[in-house]
Amino acid sequence: MKEVLATVLENKRIAENIQSLTFSTGEVIPVRAGQFLNISTGNGVHLLRRPIAVCKAEGENITICFQLKGEGTHQLALVPAGAKLSVLLPLGNGFFVKESEQKVALVAGGVGIFPIISVIWEYAPKGKQIHSYIGFRNRSAICCLDELEKSTALTVTTDDGSYGLHMNAVQAFVADMDRGNVPDVVLSCGPTPMLRALQAAMQQRDIPCYVSLEERMGCGIGACLVCVCNQTNGTHARVCKDGPVFNAKDVQL
Amino acid sequence: MANLSVELCGVNLKNPVIGASGTVGFGREFDEIYDISVLGGISTKGLTLEPRLGNPVPRIAESRGVILNAVGLQNPGVDSFIEKDLGWLKSKNVAIIANVAGRTLEDYAQICAKLDGLVDMIELNISCPNVRAGGMALGIKPENVFEVSKITKAQLKKTPLMVKLSPNVESIATNARAAQEGGADCISLINTLTGMAIDIERRKPIIANNTGGVSGAGVKPIAVRMVYEAAHAVSIPVVGMGGITCAEDALEFIMAGATAVQVGTANFTDTMAMPKIIQGLNAWCDKHGVKNLAELRDTLILN
Ligand SMILES: Cc1cc2nc3c(=O)[nH]c(=O)nc-3n(C[C@H](O)[C@H](O)[C@H](O)COP(=O)(O)OP(=O)(O)OC[C@H]3O[C@@H](n4cnc5c(N)ncnc54)[C@H](O)[C@@H]3O)c2cc1C
Ligand SMILES: Cc1cc2nc3c(=O)[nH]c(=O)nc-3n(C[C@H](O)[C@H](O)[C@H](O)COP(=O)(O)O)c2cc1C
Ligand code: FES
Repeated sequence: MKEVLATVLENKRIAENIQSLTFSTGEVIPVRAGQFLNISTGNGVHLLRRPIAVCKAEGENITICFQLKGEGTHQLALVPAGAKLSVLLPLGNGFFVKESEQKVALVAGGVGIFPIISVIWEYAPKGKQIHSYIGFRNRSAICCLDELEKSTALTVTTDDGSYGLHMNAVQAFVADMDRGNVPDVVLSCGPTPMLRALQAAMQQRDIPCYVSLEERMGCGIGACLVCVCNQTNGTHARVCKDGPVFNAKDVQL
Repeated sequence: MANLSVELCGVNLKNPVIGASGTVGFGREFDEIYDISVLGGISTKGLTLEPRLGNPVPRIAESRGVILNAVGLQNPGVDSFIEKDLGWLKSKNVAIIANVAGRTLEDYAQICAKLDGLVDMIELNISCPNVRAGGMALGIKPENVFEVSKITKAQLKKTPLMVKLSPNVESIATNARAAQEGGADCISLINTLTGMAIDIERRKPIIANNTGGVSGAGVKPIAVRMVYEAAHAVSIPVVGMGGITCAEDALEFIMAGATAVQVGTANFTDTMAMPKIIQGLNAWCDKHGVKNLAELRDTLILN
């Protein structure tokens, strides 16, 4: 974990309401797939930094992709190249694929695709078989297809059928599993209803399934206890420090 | 290099910068980023008699220049703190201030009895709902402030008592005097101001608890005014906080009468905020020919 003053290199729109921002940290900071960072919006009125997944880490350069939601992300989309932003990284545990797990299913929807791209980025070169099931709202929301196509097999779905299969990512994944395409491990990120559907679908199966959660944060490092989630054992876990990735069996969604 | 050290109720702080309760946990996480022994002190997350799970999420929201929080005192309980965290914190050579909270007056007394002699100072959080005050915070009415100060002071044979005042009151000066009369060795302020932030699409408060405590840069002028009023109402030392983000902010509090300061929300905006404030205090003193930072305390010249 490091506090850095990063220099913005590029900040561009890549799909409807989706921005890609690349910055240099001035040093190589190792980041694992599924880890995230806290980034300032570039405007001092926002005292909280935004938690955003690391999409790509190449040398000193880090790329994040984010949806324009509220005030902070709209502000961040305006930051010009050359500007400085305070960034705290890397945060959280990230996704791990074990040696023994060869066939990896990635199930993602909405902004959940960005941490999932980091998994493809890290594990495709290591020879893992990656089957990705990616859901978008509609055709105009589609982005990062070139990155997603680095999977061994890619299934794209849209909620309205305007591109790919007319269903959601979990339905596409479960249908494929029913056809006998069974993975060794499932990694997922997306809206809570999607994760809940996946959790329910995996309940009866003996396949490890990991989900990456979102929660509003303060410190981002585990100190303030603002970002907790409920665990099935009745205790709280900190999404920023103990997560954001949890075994789907361990958390109540 | 100026001398930044200050003395607070017989406790020597190497500098006046203390991590504010609830924003720095028990110090471990920040210590992964910088050595927390550079700090003057750490005020722990509010400790209760039994472990507490706290409020549902969302526990935090943002509004321009401020944040709101309602964590609801999630903590592992005072016994767990003593067993698992205190030893480590002692090895860090920072003043340890145990922030304590209770549902009843007896809770406060019992926690203080457990911590007496183990920590450098006790800080009473009297801004949480209390049975004695009919579910209201003990920190609101001066008679309750007096009572909780008195009952806890009676348990503290070795450790000085700091009473943390709530700003949501009629007269901060009256409550400061009530704490002093009850036996407080010093006071700290301000705790958070009660506020609300609304998601207009959902027509619902953003925070699950509906209301939350407002803190951060935007509250500073209110906090400075209250610290000034409190410091001039009592003869015991005052620890100031509320919206401090840089050395210059800290100096406003010190000139208004604070002996030391606490930094909370700024730790979220910049994880290195406190080390930077300490460096900044040093630089300011050097630039202004100040040899001892303590000389600046209460040097405000009113118009
Ligand atoms: C671990 C993690 C990884 C994330 N990765 C991505 C990503 O790669 N791409 C992406 O587009 N989004 C991601 N998000 C969601 C992103 O953090 C929010 O969309 C963003 O913070 C909204 O900020 P805003 O200023 O636009 O909204 P506002 O509503 O103005 O924000 C107000 C406050 O609420 C917080 N907040 C609002 N919505 C969320 C949310 N869904 N999750 C967490 N905090 C929120 C903000 O951080 C800010 O502190 C991630 C969230 C987490 C927790
Ligand atoms: C997330 C969070 C949790 C807090 N928890 C506590 C607490 O447990 N006990 C307490 O006395 N004050 C608590 N506070 C209040 C702070 O210690 C401090 O009084 C207040 O935030 C004002 O300072 P600031 O503007 O520098 O943050 C909390 C504040 C925040 C932001
Ligand atoms: S954001 Fe502070 S503990 Fe997670």
